[in-house]
Amino acid sequence: MMINFDNAATTYPKPLSVRKAAADAIMSFGGNAGRGGHQLAMRTSEAYYNARETAAEFFGAEPENTVFTLNCTHALNMAIQGVMSQGGHLIISSMEHNSAARPAVSLTLKKQITLSIAEVYPDKEQTIESFRRLMRSDTKAVVCTLASNVTGQLLPYREIGELCRQRGVCFIADGAQACGIYDIKLSDGINILCTAGHKGLYGITGTGLLITDGKYPIAPIIQGGTGSESLSLFQPTILPDSLESGTPNIIGAVTVGEGIRFIKRRGAEAIRAHEERLCRRFISELSPVEGITIYRDEGAEYAPIVSFNAYGMGSEEAAAILGEKGFCLRAGYHCAALAHATLGTKGGTVRFAPSVFNTEAEVLKLVYYVKILKNLQNS
Amino acid sequence: MLAAQSEQSGVILLTKCILDMPSYTYAVKGQRLLRQRGYPCAIKRRSKDSENGCGYSLYVGDRCGRAAEILDSYSVPYTIRRDGADDDDKL
Repeated sequence: MMINFDNAATTYPKPLSVRKAAADAIMSFGGNAGRGGHQLAMRTSEAYYNARETAAEFFGAEPENTVFTLNCTHALNMAIQGVMSQGGHLIISSMEHNSAARPAVSLTLKKQITLSIAEVYPDKEQTIESFRRLMRSDTKAVVCTLASNVTGQLLPYREIGELCRQRGVCFIADGAQACGIYDIKLSDGINILCTAGHKGLYGITGTGLLITDGKYPIAPIIQGGTGSESLSLFQPTILPDSLESGTPNIIGAVTVGEGIRFIKRRGAEAIRAHEERLCRRFISELSPVEGITIYRDEGAEYAPIVSFNAYGMGSEEAAAILGEKGFCLRAGYHCAALAHATLGTKGGTVRFAPSVFNTEAEVLKLVYYVKILKNLQNS
Repeated sequence: MLAAQSEQSGVILLTKCILDMPSYTYAVKGQRLLRQRGYPCAIKRRSKDSENGCGYSLYVGDRCGRAAEILDSYSVPYTIRRDGADDDDKL
């Protein structure tokens, strides 16, 4: 028996339609995309484009502005390094994943940019104000997660996007924990949306997306073969080719397209409602228990992710004991140094992240074992 | 005169006008925009080297002017290359 509650890292299981699409893609789309004129290449190219078009439509973008990447980290690195390539001031939130924080800090240490970190509060007005206060005349971009990967806290991204729009600042959003369960569109004020394909979009691992409205040029961090302008020694400037060098993960892209179709059939709102119901049940069962800490504030709003600690145990130890009982839970710092510093956790947290495929019975089973964790530790 | 056959539609177009597209992505986007408006067209590997090398072209038959107008209205970039008889519609 194995029950996966680590869906914030990658969703598992994948929908049947996605698994079938992956198998079909291996059988039918074995050519390269955008690089040949023969039957196999053309068939593969069209499948890749179909996935691109599906993703573009889902996020309210143009197909050519929808770039497939390896993961959300890849997309964020491309966006941050690409937009900041000429220097300037960058603001990131204090809840960012290392995928945004590390490239930002690296550019700062190389003295290519200046960096400010906007504090995130439970109260959204305070959070907006902390971004507003840090804006400068040379601020070029803001990077903000839509939902924390540690606690699920939702950031007021529409308001932050509006703040950016008013000042002509590029708004880069990390949608890894929000896409697929919220109706996220570029028209929400996002200039560049970075997300994973293998989390809430239910594609396979090795997939991500960078989706841009095209207003801010993104200098490529990887250059090479694109299937276009082959006689030129210069990287094409046209999207998506400028940001898609080398053979893409075509099979992965096809699964992302199929994952999005799965979400559209179920409805993002219905998926979120189900996951929220599971989180509410988890919290209502455990919050009254002495010795359990749940990292949620009353004033804040949350995506369906819950971070907790139990009985003063280390998060890794707690997750390991629960792992022996068949539960897959992510412990530690979740690649989010800034977020854990903001939360003031010591030893990290255990993260509960359900997907559309988890059930209430599974949650209650986990609750039972969390309640007796201390006994299990002693035994 | 070249003949291009669309895999999907089976339509054979007597090619008078070829639109060289900057990428495969724009070739499909252009093809779908034109087809939605009743203009059959096919994507083929570029038959003549352009200055920058290989790529894809849209074979739009004898409706070069109208095809160009549609692509322009959606900001789809292309370069017109004629092959064969004059167009029957004006650019």
